[in-house]
Amino acid sequence: MGNQSDSAISRREFARRAALVSAAASLSPSDLLRSESTAATRPTPQAANAPKLSPQGQAEVESRIQAIFSQYGNRLTDSQKADIRRLATETQPPLDRLRAFATDNGDGPGLYLKPLMEREKKPSPTPQKPANAPKRS
Amino acid sequence: MPGEEIYHLSVTELAKRLESKKLSPLDLTHAYLDRSQRLGARFNAYAHLMPETAIEQAKAAEKEIQGGHYRGPLHGIPYAAKDLLAVKGLPTTWGAKPYADQVFDYNATVIEHLNRVGAVMIGKAAMIELAGGMGYRFASASLQGGAKNPWDTTCWTCGSSSGSGAIVAAGLAAFAIGTETWGSIICPSAFCGVSGLRPTYGRVSRYGAMALAPSMDKIGPMARSAEDCARIFAAIAGHDPKDRGTVPIDKGAFTYSPSMELHSRPLKVGWITNAWKSLAPGIAKPIEAATRILKKHFSGVKDVALPVGPWEEAGSIIVAVECAASFRSLIRSGRVSELTDPLGQIAGYVNEQYSAADYLQALKVREVAQKKMDSLFDTFDVIAAAAQPVPATPLTLNLETDLTFPDPLGAIGNICGLPAMSVPCGFTEKNLPVGLQFVGRAGDDFAVIQAGRTFQLHTDWHKRHPKIH
Repeated sequence: MGNQSDSAISRREFARRAALVSAAASLSPSDLLRSESTAATRPTPQAANAPKLSPQGQAEVESRIQAIFSQYGNRLTDSQKADIRRLATETQPPLDRLRAFATDNGDGPGLYLKPLMEREKKPSPTPQKPANAPKRS
Repeated sequence: MPGEEIYHLSVTELAKRLESKKLSPLDLTHAYLDRSQRLGARFNAYAHLMPETAIEQAKAAEKEIQGGHYRGPLHGIPYAAKDLLAVKGLPTTWGAKPYADQVFDYNATVIEHLNRVGAVMIGKAAMIELAGGMGYRFASASLQGGAKNPWDTTCWTCGSSSGSGAIVAAGLAAFAIGTETWGSIICPSAFCGVSGLRPTYGRVSRYGAMALAPSMDKIGPMARSAEDCARIFAAIAGHDPKDRGTVPIDKGAFTYSPSMELHSRPLKVGWITNAWKSLAPGIAKPIEAATRILKKHFSGVKDVALPVGPWEEAGSIIVAVECAASFRSLIRSGRVSELTDPLGQIAGYVNEQYSAADYLQALKVREVAQKKMDSLFDTFDVIAAAAQPVPATPLTLNLETDLTFPDPLGAIGNICGLPAMSVPCGFTEKNLPVGLQFVGRAGDDFAVIQAGRTFQLHTDWHKRHPKIH
């Protein structure tokens, strides 16, 4: 079911997940180890590094940015606005990948442990244990 | 006063001494409190210590044990709770300035459970503000500042259970309670060289815990061994009518005794070939050694690949949207500007903009992932990989730009609510801990505990601790 995506997004830490800052450049762990503490002084990625979006994607991003600025613009600095623009732009490719994943009409929203509950309604897919197998908790 | 080694004893060892009355709960509590007062600030480990409460609880434990009423393995054991768990009458700051003066008039269910078994809470562990839900760029995103790793104080503990990791690693308490929405128990456990259990979603009540992403939030123990985690998990697991996310009564509770492992089936282990794009050189060697242990002491180890799909994208949307809902008033009021981290001050505005259709697509993707993972566990009892591909990172690292790599295992494990455990499996050449992660089928927390316990029966990495003076 669904198409497969091999575009693993570049993100590990929670901050980035929550903000969907997923299209930033990916570093290998060895790059990371070399980066040392000077990294903290680096500027945030500039627009030049922004992902290339389709016209529709760009329009969607602009729409979101304008919604934010119209509602909250008066409390944001120029620097924060630039950061929001970057975040909103970088979140578009993962959104596109998510939307491109084929799901069927009948696929329900995933409820946690649904497989666990469903498993109990059908015979176990695993081979039966020997009669003397000890019980597990 | 107890000697240095006692601070690093497992709950299991401490319990033996307490039960046999060779060790007094009051002395042990005083010892941990003194050490925490002396060293806690060095690691930015605590949000606050609670000496009065701790002494009161320790005195009660002492009286009961002396009177022959021993409640079990956590009776008289000092611990710390992440500062997003409500404790009646005491500050619960969620690590964030806007909530610095927040006080609840009730206890979180987890705290109630630990009170019931006689554990002694000595303090609230520092944490990343709002558990990182609003995003953060730097390790300093906390009311207490960046948590310093006891193995190397120029390095971070990872988050968001940052203080919990520091406390256990530095021997400031016997165990700590952490939480994970995505990575916040497994990563600090790996970076700090402690054992951490992320339970199946719904096994531990979140009532009284800060909500970040309610469909993904989980609470679990961080301790000195898999066995300790099992004992703590047994105390805090169970259905709770106050948390509608908890699993039904018959599936919630967990019991543990070491003898259970003797009667368990040998575990079939899947070694995940695509958990990480690459491992840092310092990580690769200990992980290779760990796989040799697995092959020697587990019934079968075979390679397995995680299913491929937009799991990270789905998880990110779920967290972003649910977090924006959880902190709607904070975002709308503008008080997000009081957060420490520059990313945290603005990310909520972006997260508010995602559509319901995209959120529901993420939930549908989650169901696809759940089914695929459930099928995978028809073949394997647990799947395993390095807990993290890098060791503890410098405190000043820009996490947004310089700590970026795909994490499909973290994504799929957390959106599916799967149990996981990180256990120490070695050190880098710079003496930073390396973690090995086991992930199990939803509901089969025992399998990941058994895997961690089996690994620790044949290794002693979990018994190492940093030298602290």
